[in-house]
Amino acid sequence: MGLIISVSIFLLAIIVNQSMLVGQTTSESVLDFPKAEIQDIRNEVFRYRSAEVDPDPIQADIETLTLYRKSALVDISNTSERLTIHYNNGVTYYHEVIQI
Amino acid sequence: MVNENGVLYTIEGVAAGVLMITTAYLVVSTTVMFTPGDSHIIDMQLEQLGNDVLASMDTPIRYGDPSPLELYITDNDSSGFSNHFLLYANTAAQPGFGRIKFNSTVYYRKDADVGSYHFSDSGDIMTGREHMVNVNRRVFVKDYTNPPPPGPDDRPQSVLLEVTLWRD
Repeated sequence: MGLIISVSIFLLAIIVNQSMLVGQTTSESVLDFPKAEIQDIRNEVFRYRSAEVDPDPIQADIETLTLYRKSALVDISNTSERLTIHYNNGVTYYHEVIQI
Repeated sequence: MVNENGVLYTIEGVAAGVLMITTAYLVVSTTVMFTPGDSHIIDMQLEQLGNDVLASMDTPIRYGDPSPLELYITDNDSSGFSNHFLLYANTAAQPGFGRIKFNSTVYYRKDADVGSYHFSDSGDIMTGREHMVNVNRRVFVKDYTNPPPPGPDDRPQSVLLEVTLWRD
């Protein structure tokens, strides 16, 4: 009887330990994912495209400021029929091609 | 006749009691698990709130118009931004307690360099002891008519607005 109870307590303790680990890794991956950054860059690209200004200096703005303040690499390229956005902050790599 | 039977029964009873209490504690505590990740939920909520407020301020009222956020930066209207931001961020009607405070800076590119200027704040002094989060928004500015000196170039550009948020 004592042996059964000890083994069951041991198993319960393992489950408790595992749940700590799962909570940690899940919340870390949620926190690390730069959802707002990607939405922001996409929104900004659409905004300056619809404003019909010279896109090159604005792309340089976004790339330089993101590298300087957010430590992430951004590369936006802009042709007449497609728009590509690369984003890489060392953990998350995001690549999007938008057909216009 | 005195022997140790009673002592053995007592020890067995105490051991069984400890085992039962430990098991019950483990079972109950697994349902209310506080993982290390849970402490970040409050940060995530504040970060989400800040990003949402900036996103809604950066939405034009009519198609083709500049957004309110763009107008505040264009006119360097720091009190207008402060009022608007605090109105959106402090939706719970609790005057004086748990209010959201902020400080914001605008970063811009000038040739190969990055410059910045202080844009707006809620009038609170940062002591460095607050538990703060940082949110940012890229704002497209079409006419930089009134940049604070020595400010950004007068051209259509994208500036980075960084807002540090905290609750007291």
